[in-house]
Amino acid sequence: MLSPDTIAQRYAQHLLHATGAMPLHAPVAPARHPALAWRRSGLMALTGRPEAAPAMCLVPLTAIADGALVALAALAPAGALGGDDGAALLAERAAIAGHTRRGAVSPGGACRLLATRDGAIALNLARDEDRELLPAWLQRDDLRDDAAIGAALREQTMHDLVERGRELGLAVAPVVPPPTPATAWCETLQQGPRATAVRAAPRVLDLSSLWAGPLCAQLLRLCGADVVKLESRQRPDGARRGPPPFFDRLNAGKRSVALDFTRAEERARLRALIERADIVIEASRPRALRQLGIDAEALIDARPGLTWISLTGYGRGGARENWIAYGDDAGVAAGLTWLMRQATGELLFVGDAIADPLTGLHAALAAWATHRAGGGRLLSLSLVDVVRHALQFERPADAEALRARQRDWAAQACDEVPAAPQAPVSRGTAPALGADNDAVLRDWGVTC
Amino acid sequence: MAKTALKAGARFKSAVSDAQVMIVKAPAGEFELACGGVAMVGGTAPVPEGATLAAGDAGEVLIGKRYVNADESLELLCTKGGKGTLTLDGVALEIKQAKQLPSSD
Repeated sequence: MLSPDTIAQRYAQHLLHATGAMPLHAPVAPARHPALAWRRSGLMALTGRPEAAPAMCLVPLTAIADGALVALAALAPAGALGGDDGAALLAERAAIAGHTRRGAVSPGGACRLLATRDGAIALNLARDEDRELLPAWLQRDDLRDDAAIGAALREQTMHDLVERGRELGLAVAPVVPPPTPATAWCETLQQGPRATAVRAAPRVLDLSSLWAGPLCAQLLRLCGADVVKLESRQRPDGARRGPPPFFDRLNAGKRSVALDFTRAEERARLRALIERADIVIEASRPRALRQLGIDAEALIDARPGLTWISLTGYGRGGARENWIAYGDDAGVAAGLTWLMRQATGELLFVGDAIADPLTGLHAALAAWATHRAGGGRLLSLSLVDVVRHALQFERPADAEALRARQRDWAAQACDEVPAAPQAPVSRGTAPALGADNDAVLRDWGVTC
Repeated sequence: MAKTALKAGARFKSAVSDAQVMIVKAPAGEFELACGGVAMVGGTAPVPEGATLAAGDAGEVLIGKRYVNADESLELLCTKGGKGTLTLDGVALEIKQAKQLPSSD
């Protein structure tokens, strides 16, 4: 079969080349124009001011998602990911939750683009308690309402607000252009011994929550992995409190283990499960795991064949590993909102928590390819760098090329009404918290 | 020892270790905020020389953790870890329980 020469196809080849993996089948991306896919996937309906027409995005994000999914499918058993569509996957949470476009407010409502003295920033107050940090962040005790917060923000600089916000653990990002130097979508931070034989159905321990990590683990399950979702009894995945169909979509088919991390014997079980896993996926700040006695670097050295996927907002190593990011503000930090403003003159979010599903897709590819090659690697993917890398792929070289893309893409089915996000097919129901504790400990041979 | 007003956003550093904190919220009035038995130093003021950790204080301030008093009217964030127990008017502060994970972002 002759592959169509599309951006998605080229992106799939680019990713496969980066992983060094030998495809089991030729990757074949859907032959559709990224602008048309943007219009039909529901992403366009999610982007723009609510009272105005939906906005085209001049970055081929749908093709990026399609390409990443197709690259993974090329390494997986035939048909494993057959029913899935990369572009639709980017809009599936919005479809389930009924989100719509809100301009400078994220579709989910937690993240806002705000003016400061010298530029705009994104602030994501995903937890109610984050509001308690605003007086310390702005050094003001008189923040009665949003107007007072807005006035305080306009007295301070982006730089100071971002630096201070990061120190306080707020998800805050500056509206900045994408960086020019090439950004890697995945970094290998440590190499340990490889396995001599790898399991066709690897044991995956998913320690992550929300969207990116659970999506990564779900894609690995579809590829044939035995996936265990491990949660803290005290702080289970917050997505359990969100729309059930979305939690089910990401977690159906996994087995659930819940442990009490305050008890020494349960922390020992956590470590025993990690020692028996082929692939570990986590989205914690490294210091949080170290405080539980878990040292990813040491495990890579000690356990041949282990693939460790570290998901962070901004990357691992140095101060950045402690900076918080969620999907919407990570897209802003990567440059998406800056590019949209260049094209439309407006401050807008692009899609719904866009960095989350993009990172989940890329992480699944990295994990699967690395495991097949024998593991023994600590891989770091960050929400911001995955989006930066996507923005750099076949980026128009100059203003003239950008205008040409704008003309061409705007003309794609321009008389077609942008579709609303479409609800995905159910994969079943996710397990209740801790439903499989005994079975997993037995099957994985944990006796402590 | 000197009492001082604690304002949201103000920074204090330990006189006996590397520990540093930021005030997240505080009640009105003046208090003595100390680490390892010695008053913490506000803002950019110089740290007095020769201060030492109170004998028998095995406490440690952990980076990223929040500390509160009994009624949680005072809350601090540790921005740099170090030795010593944090106290407000001589009463030790406790680590605040970790925030619940968000339900979505």
